Amino acid sequence: MVCGSPLLLPGILTHWLAGEARAGEDSSMSPKAPHFPARAKRVIFLYMTGGVSHMDSFDPKPRLVADHGKLVSADFYGVKSASATSWLRPLWDFQRGGKCGTEVSDLFPHVRACMDDICLIRSMTTDHSDHTQATLGLHTGSFSVARPSLGSWLSYGLGTFNQNLPSFVVLAPELPYTGNQVWSADFLPGVHQGTRVIPGAEPIPNLNRRALSAEVQELELGLLERFNLKHQEDRPTNPAFAARIKSFETAFGMQREMPDVLDLSKETDATLELYGLERGSTKGFAWQCLVARRMAERGVRFIELIDVGSEVGSNWDAHSDMRSHERLARNVDQPIAGLLKDLKSRGMLDETLVVWTTEFGRTPYADAPTGRGHHGRAFSSWLAGGGIQGGIVHGKTDDYGFDVAENKVHVHDFHATILHLLGLDHEKLTYRHAGRDFRLTDVSGNVIKDILA
Amino acid sequence: MTICRLLGLNDRKFDLFPRSRDKQISHTGGEVIKGSHRWRSEFTMKKLTLIVFLWLSLGASLTVVSAAGQAPAADRALTAGQLDFFEKKIRPVLTERCYKCHSAEAEKVKGGLLLDTRAGIRAGGDDGPAVVPGDLKASLLIEAIHSQDKDLSMPPEKAGGKLPDKIIEDFETWVKIGAPDPRDGSSKPVARSGIDIEKGRQFWSFRPVTDPPLPEVKGQDERWRASPVDRFVLAKLEEKGLTPAPPADRRTLLRRATFDLTGLPPTPEDAEAFLEDQAPNAFEKVIDRLLASPHYGEQWGRHWLDVVRYADTSGCNSDYPIPDAYRYRNYVIRSFNEDKPYDQFVCEQIAGDLLPARSDAERIDRIIATGYLAISRRYGSSEPEFHLTIEDTIDNVGKAILGLSVSCARCHDHKFDPILTRDYYALYGIFASTRYAFAGMEDFPHKKDFTALTTGPEAETLSAFQTELSGLDFEKFRLKQEQKALKRIAEAAAQIGQQASAAAGEPPAPKGTLEQVQAALKAVEERIKAMEQKPPAVEKAYTVSEGKAVNAQIQIKGDPQKPGGEVPRGFLQILGGQQLPPAATGSGRYELAQWLTDPSNPLTARVMVNRIWQHHFGKGIVASPNDFGARGQPPTHAGLLDSLTIRFIASGWSIKALHKLILLSSAYQMQNVANGEAARLDPNNELLWRFDGRRLSAEEIRDAMLATSDAMDRTMGGAHPFPPEMEFRYTQHKPFEAVYETERRSVYLMQQRRKKHPLLEVFDGADPKASTAARPISTTPIQALFLMNDPFVHEQARRFAGRLIAAHEQAGERIQMAYQLAFCRLPTGEEVRRGNEYLQSCEVALLQSGLPMDQAPPAAWASYARVLFSSNEFIFVD
Repeated sequence: MVCGSPLLLPGILTHWLAGEARAGEDSSMSPKAPHFPARAKRVIFLYMTGGVSHMDSFDPKPRLVADHGKLVSADFYGVKSASATSWLRPLWDFQRGGKCGTEVSDLFPHVRACMDDICLIRSMTTDHSDHTQATLGLHTGSFSVARPSLGSWLSYGLGTFNQNLPSFVVLAPELPYTGNQVWSADFLPGVHQGTRVIPGAEPIPNLNRRALSAEVQELELGLLERFNLKHQEDRPTNPAFAARIKSFETAFGMQREMPDVLDLSKETDATLELYGLERGSTKGFAWQCLVARRMAERGVRFIELIDVGSEVGSNWDAHSDMRSHERLARNVDQPIAGLLKDLKSRGMLDETLVVWTTEFGRTPYADAPTGRGHHGRAFSSWLAGGGIQGGIVHGKTDDYGFDVAENKVHVHDFHATILHLLGLDHEKLTYRHAGRDFRLTDVSGNVIKDILA
Repeated sequence: MTICRLLGLNDRKFDLFPRSRDKQISHTGGEVIKGSHRWRSEFTMKKLTLIVFLWLSLGASLTVVSAAGQAPAADRALTAGQLDFFEKKIRPVLTERCYKCHSAEAEKVKGGLLLDTRAGIRAGGDDGPAVVPGDLKASLLIEAIHSQDKDLSMPPEKAGGKLPDKIIEDFETWVKIGAPDPRDGSSKPVARSGIDIEKGRQFWSFRPVTDPPLPEVKGQDERWRASPVDRFVLAKLEEKGLTPAPPADRRTLLRRATFDLTGLPPTPEDAEAFLEDQAPNAFEKVIDRLLASPHYGEQWGRHWLDVVRYADTSGCNSDYPIPDAYRYRNYVIRSFNEDKPYDQFVCEQIAGDLLPARSDAERIDRIIATGYLAISRRYGSSEPEFHLTIEDTIDNVGKAILGLSVSCARCHDHKFDPILTRDYYALYGIFASTRYAFAGMEDFPHKKDFTALTTGPEAETLSAFQTELSGLDFEKFRLKQEQKALKRIAEAAAQIGQQASAAAGEPPAPKGTLEQVQAALKAVEERIKAMEQKPPAVEKAYTVSEGKAVNAQIQIKGDPQKPGGEVPRGFLQILGGQQLPPAATGSGRYELAQWLTDPSNPLTARVMVNRIWQHHFGKGIVASPNDFGARGQPPTHAGLLDSLTIRFIASGWSIKALHKLILLSSAYQMQNVANGEAARLDPNNELLWRFDGRRLSAEEIRDAMLATSDAMDRTMGGAHPFPPEMEFRYTQHKPFEAVYETERRSVYLMQQRRKKHPLLEVFDGADPKASTAARPISTTPIQALFLMNDPFVHEQARRFAGRLIAAHEQAGERIQMAYQLAFCRLPTGEEVRRGNEYLQSCEVALLQSGLPMDQAPPAAWASYARVLFSSNEFIFVD
């Protein structure tokens, strides 16, 4: 009996309802035990494109206000490029937020209200002050050539809970600097590649059924399974044969489940309001944040949200005018706070690590009269949720926010800490490629113990 | 002083600017990309250096004093005073603070450096001479005791850290007076950093290739073991008590050989001819036919393109397209089709421009061959970081041709293989003396140093055009920097006016200067625009040519800002250590080509033989085809590898002869069968007790669909439909990105360096950023979605269905044809019956979905074709 073969559906359905991998023992994507008990099960990674100014957002510098307009002294830190320019004060005032009283600027009033859940790192540093290299470094630990992305490493190390969705999803309406290298699996098996999801008719390539009807597609998959089972019978065991049969089931499941994840119609008005999302809209970071929560609920391991693209003038790269930060912050502030509150009220924040970062900071002095240049020496990032001590500030910069003054956190340390929170030892999570063992943190990285709960 | 200070400059910085302004401006793009050091010293040194320079050139009255030259070393017999100085001031410090790690008594000599004899201190260590009498700058020891850099600073923290200033001064004085040193005696020879070249030669892959006798075997009949290949295979199997699998049937063998040699499925006619051919050499005839097919070069050229990480774009931050790169791709394909001797193939790619040619066509072909070096990865937006491009070249030459990871030695002597840091910089000098064509990048969008494929005036026209236009790019970049600087200076001057305390009396920026610069900028931009309207219509290729011959200095820990000792251009010590004569004026590529292909070089032929074997059996005799070093895998059949290598060289490095030798073996013709006992003893089938099936590559999957649907355009691909070159203005904000549709074979798809082609990405295509020795095979739901829903698959299925419908009236006949085309076999009666059932059910479902009556049957056939395309039988070869 070929027609209407119900071979697939019941399996997929049970699988889906159980939220567990079925027959997944041989699949490289089944959940794997971490190296040690983990505090967080998944990551939501909020990435701001272009370089957010730390002095204007999370790192108050009264000295900068006091010295505004004064020429930068030539021997300032012995750094010559700081010259022939003057200090530039932040455009926004700072106020204390939460019980902890951490100071955050008026760019992020909603996030400020959540500071008790957040560990703010004011001492981030990176190796490069160009978008391409810094973006690659922040995502892959490699500053020159793309390597597997953080999300791919986590997928490789931990597998995933829901076989009907990719383990690593990237919600990116626009392409960031370096494009899809940001979520590349590179030399890791392709299944760990980030899957880019965009709002719209076809959220991932080839997700939409092209066969005329669901019935036709089910017929095709039924016949295919027969073909493949027969083929397998006649031949010596090859795990790839079975894996391939299963991959069609998963693809079928994905066709079904992905639209459901992206369907926000059942969300309440209160939830939409929390994120600041208009009903029916797929615009802006609010849509991304709400979809991220839904993916987290359905077992996606690593969800990255990229706010805007690499187009000149569209992102945080405020060379000419800092005021552009206002529009960009408005796009993300309430949705991020909404996400944190929503996760918390659903009891998910404890096991979800929320990371907020950008590729580098901006100069404390002017580039153009009211803009700031790229600045890799110091910037701010923050972490919240699973395994993180909320309400604290780690590290600090000097009076101008130019250099890290205390507790420097290099990108490699940042990565090591994220892996640690997911139960992975960054020195042990390796993959053999081109004759040597590679890891996300190359030959460096220290877990920041001080910020762990 | 004040402006200078304002700009954050001190006198020392002016040392970095030794050239006159005119000289500097004459450095057009080509020279800039040629030497990263020069580039760096002129441009990356804090860009504001430029500002002051321009300030000067524009008439500001500042006086710049460059550092006085050092007095040359006096070389004379030691006086009592000098001796005294050494004994009192120098020797005690060396003994106390340095000998622990840098003397004959040291437990482990660090950095290959001995400081306990005059000879040792002068010869220096891995990074170059420690002391050069009279020359403070060239004396690494002086640099090390001054350094704040933790990689370089000596003595290290655990040995007490930095020396007191007084002692540092003593050492400087000592070097200045000629480093008088009474310590005679030759330094105990130390292997630098513990690498023992002689011992290294004992490793299997560095030993000479031998011609081992064919092993004696007992099992199988004479016919089975007629090929030397089989004697070696059988001997290994017999050692373990295993027997080889029975021979595969003819259809299986034909499908296997056809995919292996051409990357395409056999046609039903091919199958019929082979099945009916009763001649004893029927399979040999098949092999000859396949080797003569132009599709052979497309398949095997692709294997080579994997290894040399071919791409059609540069890899810089904005991934500039290189419309002429395809010529190298086609050269590779042609070379395989012509069965070009492999040693010649290597020589042409390294030094084709320097080889004699018998005809113009051959000359052009050889110039195009150097595209191999030109396609090395490019970096940056305005700083080409050329040392990374050279690293990429060395990495690839090492892996692709020698099967060695040479580039590990960029920062330190190789930890596992006998490859020295000096070896890396011996090769580095060769490529630093080579002029790479420049592909364009964000701040310098126009190409330069491409080679015209004609001679005479046209070639000169192209060269003049490229030089002028890229010079204008450079000039534009400079003027823009200048403009920005002048604006800043004007602002700074205004500030100074307001902040009287800061800089009273400072001359303000000269009036009119900014306007002058802006006018110059406008003129340059207009000239660029005018030139872009009229590019010369001369065919060109992405190549390398000879540059200015220089030896490289070691870059300490791989950092080009930390130069160490100079290394003569030459070859790896372990492979002979040949060097160019000091007076050599060429880059050394010509010689390198000879060294690489010298029959006594134990690696080049072995590595290639292994690659050929790998693509027939799914894995190499050495399972790490790019790594024949200590970290790679040892050969499973060392005797076989050598025996094949000897025959390969004896055949005149003929790759086609090697294919034939391998394909005619009984080992290749075994069946892919289960054998529990063998699987237990040798689970990975390393001893070859059966033939392992494989999944088709990304290209083969696509090509097989195009061939089956008969939609394939079988002509050789040419240039990609890039936008006009003169319009390239890509930036890191808006990098080049495109996918071009074609019905040609997949080897002709446009492949970007920074982004894989979508289809190649889904099905594990080669990494365009680094040498791919063997493609990993993954199975993902994204692949399944592709087969279920991608428009390409649907289109090919539609055409496949159309082909079946056009050929036959009867459904049964169509199904037969479909199986022959897709699987190279006939369906069973049961399969035909099920197929018929399926088509009927499908038609019903389609009609129910609202498809008009006349469209349902072809749509049902297309649906059936999609299932065939998605099936394991289509995607795997036995």
